[in-house]
Parts: sequence; C-alpha cells; structure tokens
Amino acid sequence: MDVVKSAVYLLCFAASLMCMVLLLRSYLRSRSRLLLWSTLCFVGLAINNLLLFIDVVVLPTQVDLLPVRQVSAMAGVGVLLFGFIWDAE
Amino acid sequence: MLSTSYSFFTGALAALYAVAGLFFLSFWKRTRDALFVSFALAFALLALNQTVLVLGGLEREEQSWVYLLRLLAFLLIIAAIVRKNLEGRRR
Repeated sequence: MDVVKSAVYLLCFAASLMCMVLLLRSYLRSRSRLLLWSTLCFVGLAINNLLLFIDVVVLPTQVDLLPVRQVSAMAGVGVLLFGFIWDAE
Repeated sequence: MLSTSYSFFTGALAALYAVAGLFFLSFWKRTRDALFVSFALAFALLALNQTVLVLGGLEREEQSWVYLLRLLAFLLIIAAIVRKNLEGRRR
C-alpha cells in the first residue's frame, strides 16, 4: 500500500510539473497572458506536490512541511486569480 | 500546525480553487474552448478535495484516499492540454 501511495504522490508532482512545462510552451508560442498566469499557478502547485512528496515519503518523521505546503498552494491559486481579475476586461 | 489555522487555510484554499474554477467556466462560455471545461472541472475537484479534508476532520490529506481526487484533477488537466496540442498540430 505504501508503494502505491508513494507512486500517487510522485505522479501528482510529475503531472503538475508537466502541466507547467506544457503551459509555458504554449505561452511562449502564443504570448497569451492567460497562459502566463496559469503557468505561474502550476509553478506553485508543482512546488506544493514536491513538498508533499518530501514531507510524506522522503522525510516522514523528521519534518512537518504542512504549513509550507499550504502557503505554496495558496500562492499558486492566488497568483492565478490575481491575473484573471487584473486582466479581465 | 494549530488545527484552527489548518482549517482556516484549507477552507480558504477550497474557496480560491472554486473561484478559479468559475473563472475557467466563464472563459469557456466566452470562447467555447473545451480546454477550459477541463480546467474548470479540475479546479472544482481540487476545491472538493480541500472541502472533504476539512469537513472530514482529516488533518493530513495524505492519510486517506482523498488524495486521489487531486491526482484525478491533474490527470484531467494533462489530458486536456495534450489533446489541445494535438489539435493545434493537425490544423
């Protein structure tokens, strides 16, 4: 079960990282501001998933990264919403 | 972490995800681009994830199956972006 769990966390990190790269590629091609905000959002979410993996799988008993994890997710969505509201016509 | 501040942040995150989801829904309404529906759905799942966590009193997300909601959300987004990229290439 632990292996499955570790795999899921790692997969979530890989997924958000992949989203980040794909969005960045699209942004560089189209220069759409919306894609830039989405890319930044996924930077936050990727950091969040990486911290989760470190917190739970790599150093389960040594550290508690929950507060940092919360802040990274918050920063990601916060930037996204800031961009949406700022750029909305 | 204090459980009150944990609940506060989890709740705030749920609301933020939900609002982001609504934005994507309104983009979809304007452009009819299927990509935005997937994003809206994924952010709704992330909001649901946070809501279930805090209402279920699960302080640490990773201790339960709830985490699968997050995985589903990310897979949804990846599928949508990949499809979008393939579409663009064909055109």
